Amino acid sequence: MFNPTPRVQVPSVAAKGETFQVKALISHQMETGLRRDPKGEVIPRKIINKFACRYNDIVVFGVDLREAMAANPYIEFYLRATESGQLEFIWEEDGGHTYALTHQLTVG
Amino acid sequence: MVEETNTANFTRRAVLTAAAGAGAGLAGGVLISPVDASDGDDDVAIVKQLTGKTPVESDRVHLVMPRTFPNGYTVPLSLEIDSPMTEADHVHHVRVFAPRNPLIEVARFHFVPRHSEPRVSTRIRLAGPQDVLAVAEMNDGALLMTKTWVEVATNGCA
Repeated sequence: MFNPTPRVQVPSVAAKGETFQVKALISHQMETGLRRDPKGEVIPRKIINKFACRYNDIVVFGVDLREAMAANPYIEFYLRATESGQLEFIWEEDGGHTYALTHQLTVG
Repeated sequence: MVEETNTANFTRRAVLTAAAGAGAGLAGGVLISPVDASDGDDDVAIVKQLTGKTPVESDRVHLVMPRTFPNGYTVPLSLEIDSPMTEADHVHHVRVFAPRNPLIEVARFHFVPRHSEPRVSTRIRLAGPQDVLAVAEMNDGALLMTKTWVEVATNGCA
């Protein structure tokens, strides 16, 4: 995708101690490096290779993605609500470019 | 979280040598015969080759994927491990392997005790019908493994 767009679905409020769901999606071609163009040249690999979720600056979940992750990678995961604060979602692409989203969570 | 800069992946018929070990935590070993068959023993051998340790089949690891799926480009996968996620007993990470894909390792999911549940859903590419393997590394270093057979109709890796 020319302009990878990240999206996250996560609640704004959670009860302390409860588990909440996060759905993270980024539109991205995830070029595997295994395809060839019409001239027969290998199209170079370009994928999102890392995803991390920080909760008040602590990394609470991470993924190392490889070529076999599907295009437009979708990752659904579950966190424990410990305290109010900021959730940060970071995707890193081959070459070092990153995409990030932040979200405020209130834990009562 | 373990930060690895390794970008190499293992081809299905790669001969692993100690010199080719590209990343931290990946043990080098010389593979004499190509890994090819769908036999359970070979799945254990693949995991041993890729992790350096012998996995144990465990019903604490739940890998849910459709038995058949028309589209190899985006096959749903759900993974859950039974674990209290305390400091003393938790899942450190889970690796997913597709031995019949041109590049075997699919992803590695990292969990943190007291913060994340050892549970994730995603979508992966499969080159053809195969056993998909999930190997959970626990905090004490033990490898717990499970597998599930998925029959895809199209090659999602091409």
